Amino acid sequence: MKKWYSRATILAIVTLLGMSGIALGQPTVIKVGLPTVLSGPAAPWGQIGMDPYLAWIELFNKEGFKVGGKTYNFKLVTVDDKNTPEGGAAAAKQLIFGDGCKFLAGHWSWNFPAVAAVSNQAKVIFLTRTGNEAVPGGVYDPKKQPYTVFANPSHDQFISDLFALVEAFPNYKKIGILDCTIGKGIGWDYVEAELKKAGVRYHMEWFPFGTQDFTPYITRFKEAGSDIVYVAGWVGESMMFAKQRWAMGYKEMRVGHSGPFVDVNMYNAVCGLDAAQGFIGQYWANWDFNKTKVNPKYIAMCQEVMKIVSQKHGKPFAYSGWIGWGPSHLLILAQAMEKAGTVDDPEVIMKAIRGGTFDTTTGKWTMSGAKTYGSPVVFGTPSALSMIKGDKEVYLSEHPMKPLP
Amino acid sequence: MPPVGIWIDGLIQSCIYMTMAFGMVLVFSILGILNWTHGQFYMLGAFVVYYAVTAAGIPFPISILISAVVIGGLGILVEKFIIERVSVPSAQGALYVTVATIALIFFFEGTASMLFGMQDKGLAMVLPGVLNLGSFSVSYQKIAVVIFTLVIMITMYIVLNHTKVGLAIRAAAQEPVAASLYGVSVERLSLIVMGIGCALAAMAGSIMAPLYVVNPFIGGIPMIMSLLAIVIGGLGSLTGAIVGGIILGFLNSVVAYHLSYFSEVVLFLLVIIILLVRPQGLFGASLK
Repeated sequence: MKKWYSRATILAIVTLLGMSGIALGQPTVIKVGLPTVLSGPAAPWGQIGMDPYLAWIELFNKEGFKVGGKTYNFKLVTVDDKNTPEGGAAAAKQLIFGDGCKFLAGHWSWNFPAVAAVSNQAKVIFLTRTGNEAVPGGVYDPKKQPYTVFANPSHDQFISDLFALVEAFPNYKKIGILDCTIGKGIGWDYVEAELKKAGVRYHMEWFPFGTQDFTPYITRFKEAGSDIVYVAGWVGESMMFAKQRWAMGYKEMRVGHSGPFVDVNMYNAVCGLDAAQGFIGQYWANWDFNKTKVNPKYIAMCQEVMKIVSQKHGKPFAYSGWIGWGPSHLLILAQAMEKAGTVDDPEVIMKAIRGGTFDTTTGKWTMSGAKTYGSPVVFGTPSALSMIKGDKEVYLSEHPMKPLP
Repeated sequence: MPPVGIWIDGLIQSCIYMTMAFGMVLVFSILGILNWTHGQFYMLGAFVVYYAVTAAGIPFPISILISAVVIGGLGILVEKFIIERVSVPSAQGALYVTVATIALIFFFEGTASMLFGMQDKGLAMVLPGVLNLGSFSVSYQKIAVVIFTLVIMITMYIVLNHTKVGLAIRAAAQEPVAASLYGVSVERLSLIVMGIGCALAAMAGSIMAPLYVVNPFIGGIPMIMSLLAIVIGGLGSLTGAIVGGIILGFLNSVVAYHLSYFSEVVLFLLVIIILLVRPQGLFGASLK
């Protein structure tokens, strides 16, 4: 009887030791929250990034990243932020306090101040993009929001996109810029100042939210001599603009938007095949970049993800926008934690982020911009463009953003 | 003076606001309610025609009729099972109907999002091509919008003035009690009118689908604009709905051409002025 007890005890100890050994070999999972748009009109852009993000994280986690000799993996937790301030605040609270996320990343919705208010109070590092709030004079205050990282410089990218357009069409007459009045704010003053400084010829028009008929605006652009019209975001509106300008007979007027193509077939279906040809959009397919060097390892990973998602969807997956957001943000985070030597101390991690150089899916960039945004945490961008040719998108031009002061 | 293209655009916009407003006023005349879901019937009509053309391969004109029948039927169901039931004969009745139809906005948008997805859809292949008129071009689709609206308006004129149903509608709109004493079933008439009103919204959405995008959220603006058209023309006046739609369509296009995004300010200011100076609208009966 005694013998049986001692054997069982030894067996239990061995088993527990073995299990703990396995546990020790397992990477530690760090939860990263993604407040994103999964409902409402902008939902297609939130939804389309989900499959590639998850596939990319799975590939990334095969190696993971090491801090203090321990291996770490990422786990993405997503909550719908409805693209509204209240939705953003609720999503941030859910992710941080409900799901226990240590970081927020991949964010691009129009609710930065609401999300940042929650994340900064909780000392959670939040990777997002610049918007009207972040340009000088905006609500962003680096002293009050020390845990905010502008990993995508939207306004600067918009400016660089226009430079890329000028490089693609050096004989342009005037670039028309079209935006919704919702986007009207100090950010435009910033864009305008940069365009004037660079000598870009442009004509600006604003349309009210909900506009479906762009005839008056197309006419105004035509009269102003604009031969290229670049729309700030607003995919549906851009497609209607392209279609309506074609119907008005202004076939020589090129149209583009500062967003990646979700699905080229959608543009062909909405605009009509002829009107959609030459439509310009942002391009994040790092394997096609000419001027921006991207780590071959990340290029291979991104191409692998495109294959995985294509297999999952049962048709070719061509959307490249995901490359510039989630994976890029997670690489900044992972490398910052490696440099900082901690995954827990946000102060030390932020110290590593400020002024740090990070190797990402969109190239190697140094966090800078101390004067530009009052914060040394603005990242660069390749600002590559593509255009629709048939039912494909092809590389057009590229204007990598220069380091900010 | 705005170029010809702007006037043509004004005409197109007039057509859509006119059709929408006509349906809304028709419902208001008999049921005494503003159907806040009118824009969502416009959206659902666009979806029906989209799938009828792309999935079933049904010709566009027939698809519009199918859309009118399907959405008209849906409107009848909404009237029968929701509006009729919440419309209790009390001071709160109108409020209940308002809340119910506002709730339906989100219900239909959410359902459409789940069923059809949120990605923009388009019918660019329907009536492609443009008619070149020298200094400007007009797409065949826009010409079709004008012709189709004319057909709808003529049909409605015939229905309202030369049929028994039309006579009953006009009678019930003017004197519901007297009409019921003469054997007109106002309840049945409400169903018919709701069906016609929603079918008109669906046809407006259907005919505009090839010009714009189709997604679950396209109904809001046409609904607001048709409401403005009604206020301009006079609540309860069918002629007012047509004239209001025409004025609003041209104003929207011409003012936007001259003042860009300030057009909204001008339009809404105009509505406020009309409400202050002539609250009954251009063709409405005096409230005093």
